[in-house]
This record gives sequence, C-alpha cells and structure tokens, in this order.
Amino acid sequence: MIQVAGKQIAWREGMTVSDLLSEIKDPHPYAVVRIDAQYVTRPNFEHTLVPDDSEVFLIPMIAGG
Amino acid sequence: MPDYQMKEVKKFDYQRPGIVNGYTDQTLYINLSDHRIEIKPVAPQTKKTFIGGKGYDLWLLWNAVQPSTRWNDPENALCIAAGPLGGTPIYPGSGKSIVATLSPTTASAMDSNVGGYFGPYLKFSGFDAMEIQGKSAKEIVVFIDGVNQKVQIFETRGLPDNAYELSAVLTDNFAQGKPRNISVVSTGPGAKNTLIGCLNFTWYDPKRKRARYKQAGRGGVGTVFADKGLKAVVACWDNVTADTNNPADKTRLKDVAKMHSREITQLDPKQNEMAKIGTTHLVTIMNDHDLLPTHNFRYGQHAQAPNLGQEVYRRLFDPGFDGCWMGCTVACSHGIKDFVPLTGPYKGKKVFVDGPEYETIAGCGSNLGIFDPHTVAEINFYCDAYGLDTISVGTGIAFAMECFEMGLINESHTGGVDLHFGNRLAALELVHQMAVGKGFGQIIGQGVRKMKAIFANDFGADPDIMQDIGMEAKGLEFSEYMTKESLAQQGGYGLALKGPQHDEAWLIFLDMVHNFMPTFEQKAEALHWFPMFRTWFGLCGLCKLPWNDIIPEDNKDTAEPAKVMKHVQWYADYFSAITGNEAGPDDLIKMSETVYNFQRIFNLRMGFGRRQQDDIPYRAVGPVTEHEYESRAERYDKQLTETYKVNIDGKSIAEKLATLRQRREEQYEKLKDAVYKRRGWTPEGIPTLKTVKRLGIDFAEVVELLKANGVNS
Repeated sequence: MIQVAGKQIAWREGMTVSDLLSEIKDPHPYAVVRIDAQYVTRPNFEHTLVPDDSEVFLIPMIAGG
Repeated sequence: MPDYQMKEVKKFDYQRPGIVNGYTDQTLYINLSDHRIEIKPVAPQTKKTFIGGKGYDLWLLWNAVQPSTRWNDPENALCIAAGPLGGTPIYPGSGKSIVATLSPTTASAMDSNVGGYFGPYLKFSGFDAMEIQGKSAKEIVVFIDGVNQKVQIFETRGLPDNAYELSAVLTDNFAQGKPRNISVVSTGPGAKNTLIGCLNFTWYDPKRKRARYKQAGRGGVGTVFADKGLKAVVACWDNVTADTNNPADKTRLKDVAKMHSREITQLDPKQNEMAKIGTTHLVTIMNDHDLLPTHNFRYGQHAQAPNLGQEVYRRLFDPGFDGCWMGCTVACSHGIKDFVPLTGPYKGKKVFVDGPEYETIAGCGSNLGIFDPHTVAEINFYCDAYGLDTISVGTGIAFAMECFEMGLINESHTGGVDLHFGNRLAALELVHQMAVGKGFGQIIGQGVRKMKAIFANDFGADPDIMQDIGMEAKGLEFSEYMTKESLAQQGGYGLALKGPQHDEAWLIFLDMVHNFMPTFEQKAEALHWFPMFRTWFGLCGLCKLPWNDIIPEDNKDTAEPAKVMKHVQWYADYFSAITGNEAGPDDLIKMSETVYNFQRIFNLRMGFGRRQQDDIPYRAVGPVTEHEYESRAERYDKQLTETYKVNIDGKSIAEKLATLRQRREEQYEKLKDAVYKRRGWTPEGIPTLKTVKRLGIDFAEVVELLKANGVNS
C-alpha cells in the first residue's frame, strides 16, 4: 500500500508517478510531487517508480521565492 | 573592557505614543550631518493614501529628494518602515521591514524587504517609519531605545567592520541581559567599497544564543547606509504580544491568525517542508524544468544541479525552529552551524552561516557553474559579513565569467584571475576583493551596467554582445530565474518598478508549466493583479510566503487557484481586524495600486519610468548564441514552424536565431502594450491623469510632472 494525500492506495509493481496520478483521477496539473523526502517533477513523472510503502505528497503549486 | 569606543554626541528624549490599530502616526527623522533628531506626525491623508511600510518610505523619500539628487548626496534619505500589521506575533510572516532609498545602481527609488526584528521594534518604540538624511565623516551608531524612550547618536571607533561580528558586539552592548530585545541593522566593508551593498537585520536566536540576520539585499541599500557614515542602527523593545499593535478587533485577529497559523503547521510538512529546508527545494525543481540559471543564464539545467538541492542542504542545515519573526510558523530561516571557511579572514574558524536560500544557491552556485554546496555556503557567509547582495554578486560574477570565456576580457584585465565558469576559488577571491575594493572584484562590485561600460571603454569589449548577455535592467541585476520560455515572467522582471527582482510577480510556473494564462490579455491581467497584491505585503510589513507557498488543500478546486483567494480573504480580515478599516480583497489591490503608480511616477521624476526603461537584455528573452540555440534546437525549431509559421527549411542556425529573436522581441513589446493598457498607463508607460485621479495621487506636483512628460488627458 502507499499513502497519497492522506489516502491509502493499492501499490503495484512498476507503478510510475504518471500511473498514480491517472489512477487517483485528480485533474489538477501537478508539476511536482514528493515521494517521502524526494521531489519528483513533471518531466520525470513518466519514468519515476513509486516504491511500495511510500507516502506521496501532491504539491499543489510552486510559487517561487 | 571592550576594545571599541562609543561617544554619545546627541540624546533625544521623547514620549512614546500609544499604538492605535497598528499605527503610531508619527515618523522619526535623523540627520547625520548636524545630528538633528525630530519627530514628524503622519497626516491622515498620508496614512489613507500610502497605508504604511513601503508606501510611507516612498512618500518620505519623495519629499526628501529632488530630481537632481544622486544616491550619495546628503539629502538622499534612507527610510525603513514596518507597516500597520507588522509586529503581530500570532500571524505568520508579520515581521518584515521595508527599506527605500535612491539606489547607486539604478539612480532611482529602490525598495528592499527583509525579515528580522527591527521594523516591529522601531514601530513599538513609537515610529511607523524612520528617515535618515545627511552624512557623517565619523562612524555613527544610532540607538532607538523604545523602552527608555530615547534616541541616541554615538560616534564610534574600533567596532568590528564585518556584520557578523558587529551584530554580535552591538547586541551584547545594548542588551543589558536581554539580547532578544535588540535588533541591529548594519552592513560591512563590501558595502563601502562597491555599489551593491546589502543591509543585515538581526533577530536573536535564543536556542543558539546568537544574533542571526536576514538581508535587505537589492539595489545597493547597504552602500547608501555605509556612505552616510552609518555603522549601525539599533532598536530596543521589550515584550511583544498580540496586544502590542492594539488591534481594533482582537477576537477577529485571533481567529484569522489561528486559522492561518494552524493551516501552515498542518500543511507545510505535506507540501514543501519550508520549516525544514527553506526554499532549497526550488533548486532541483527549477533545474528539471530548465529554469535554473546556469552559466550566466545561458541554460536552465545542469547534470550536477542536485549537488545544490534540498537533499544536500537538509543534511547541512542545523535543525531547529528558525523563524525570523516571533511566532511565524513558516520558520524558513535556516543556517549551517560550525561551518569552516577555506578562505578569507575566517579561514579555519568555525562560523554560523545564515542561509543559503534559493536565490543565493542559484546566483552564487549554478549560475557560476559552481555545484559545490560548501563553496555556496562560504560565498553566502562572506557576502553577509561583508555586506554584499548575493544576487548582484552572483549575477555580476556570472557576467564577468561569460565575458572571460568569450574572450571579451582576459587575465590582463582580471589581475591574473582565471575566470572560467566553475572556478570556485576565483569566485571567492573576487568576493574578498569586493570587500576591500581592490583588484577586479572592485570592478564587479560596480554592478553589471557599469561593468559593461568599463569593459567596452577601457578593455575594448564589444558593447552589443554585452548588452545581450549582461543580465541587468534599470541598472539592477536579475534575480535567479530563467525567463526565456515564459513571456509573462519576462514582463514580471522587465516591468518591475525597481528592476528585475521576483518580488513583484513570479509567474513562470503559472504561465509555462500550468498554462494558466495562455493569452496576452490573461498575461496582462496577471501582470496587473500579482504585482499589486505583492506590493500590499510591502505596505503592511508582511512576508508573502504564507500566502502562496503553503496553500489550502481545496485551493486547486477554486476558480482562480493561482491567486489563493482563501488566503487573500484572510489577509483582508487581518487588515480589518488590526486597523479597524473594513477591507475586502479588492480594497487591498486598490491600496497597492495607489503606491505602485506613485512609485512609477517617482521613477519618471528621477528621469526614468518610461517604456524604454522596461527593456530587458535579449538573454532574458531567447537564445543569444548559436550554441544556445543548438542546445534546445527542437524547441526553437518547433516554435518557429508551429507558433510563428515560419518555413525553416534550408535556413542556417544564424538565420533561425535572427528570426526567432525578431518574433520574441515583438511579443515582448506587445506584452508591454497590453500591460500598460491594463494598468491605466499611456503607450509610453506613464500613468494617465485619469489613473492618478482615480487613485487619489493627483497632487499638483504629480500632475505637473505628467504634463511635462506629455500626458495631457
């Protein structure tokens, strides 16, 4: 299982960040998510695997300095 | 016995007024030439029009100077203010001070905001703002003692030169056992010997038992301070509570403050963890989106960028609660304990580094081709101690490095320093040279605009290419974001009143990544609303981070997620609760619009503030060199063929480069037109008479100035 924005989601082998975002059906155009302490950006969503037992935080907006 | 002397040359006793709804309704005037100290009342109309903070600063500055005044004339004023909401300890981010003065690099009104305790302590001592004019040949320390209701001017000898030690010595000197009651504003030797000096504002860190500091960095405000003969300005205040601002509606204040504070505590750990890593998360995020400046803004990405990212600084930062104002739950002011510099006067000694933040990492790291976090920390430490702005230092050295690599300058000009990108020791050596005003560092310390003139006139370098790659506008060095692919952010920088700093509008992600503003009209609307709302923080003494760096979980489902309107409403409630003047979100924008237009007119008065001053170097708009084009050829080719419908078959890189440039520059000019129209300005970029009348700044002097500049209707 993984935790995404506070909810439990079933994990599967080979699950990428893109897969996860499709699965949770959240239309917001996320640019960044955080898997535990690791930041993953949109250009890397397709090829970044989500590990089992991880916690995924959906970063709603990047607002600059 | 201390090894310094402080001789009192003036003592001014006063009766501290009670604070009413966030205001003292008076300002402090100090003249360093004749040691005059006066208290000036704030007229009701001034309060209504300028609100406080940056608004008060600009009004004081406007009245202090003439169009002919230069930054180092005695009549130039250095103004510091909090704002009506400043100093509230229960609302996150309520401890900002705003500094304004005529800048040595832009020659016009500069404003720079900063954390630390000074602004609130100044207000609680009885002054909404302070204005310092005149100059002293002797080193001066001003002490504003709100507890004992006196202002003293001291002539001093033997105090440390650098801000790191000076802050500690003066905190100890005035604390009388209560160091948290003291806030010191000072600069360092670099400010004296360059034009890009910063000011350090302290706050006392009881856990680490040391004076920490934040910087008012931009536009050489520290240089003005040093040129006046000021060693430091120190404020003393005692207990701070939610009552200290004497809010109009304390229950309402407590309710809204609790909501915002609690939300940050709950959501920051789920979002960007600023309480742990500050703004360092931005490094890899910008890098992944091709937005992290590397090698003088040539490129936005580098394979070694993760060496400067949050994973590294998370380990380097000393864990702890690091709020630069009391009770701020964002608490992003992190630092590195027991850092040992490898160069300079602190070589081999343990020091505490306040920072780095994103801007310093990008400016003094990636933009110099330096990907070593320890070198960035060392440059950060010395810039603060010497009183140098890390953004201008980074952007300035980056420009010199590119000129060196292009062969526009060589070792005969740099005093033998090898200025290739990535040379860590060279970058540090230049910082040390800036501190003493010697060697090639002295030239870099003049800022990019003057460097361009020196390289052209004295070294025979090509002025045209330097105009394209010298990252300054209005005389101010760019802060550290790539704008080539975001037209809105080109405007965010180019149309900013003081020069290219991101504190007016940071629209890159909203524009380029989220595509929230695809049309010209939407970009123009954003370049109206965002600068206005961000100006409001400067009027009130607030930090913008709590507004849109930690955002409500349901924000994404709102009509305008970029504006975070739930928080905007909270800010309107906060303003109403403190001041007793009921305000909604639109009222906040109107307050800012008034001051914003006044600042544009101030620029006009000083000989600027026109369309041509909103130009930016082409490096900010698109690829300057063939190599830059080739590095992202697919992107540029696609834009030429799909967006601009240009047939590129058989065209050389040089031809494509020229065509792309023409199109992109046209876009930027169209953006100017759209924004000027939205802001109620003429096509020349000057507020119309109708606009100034609507905003209530149609003073006779303003109207006369507009008419003298051809604005008649």
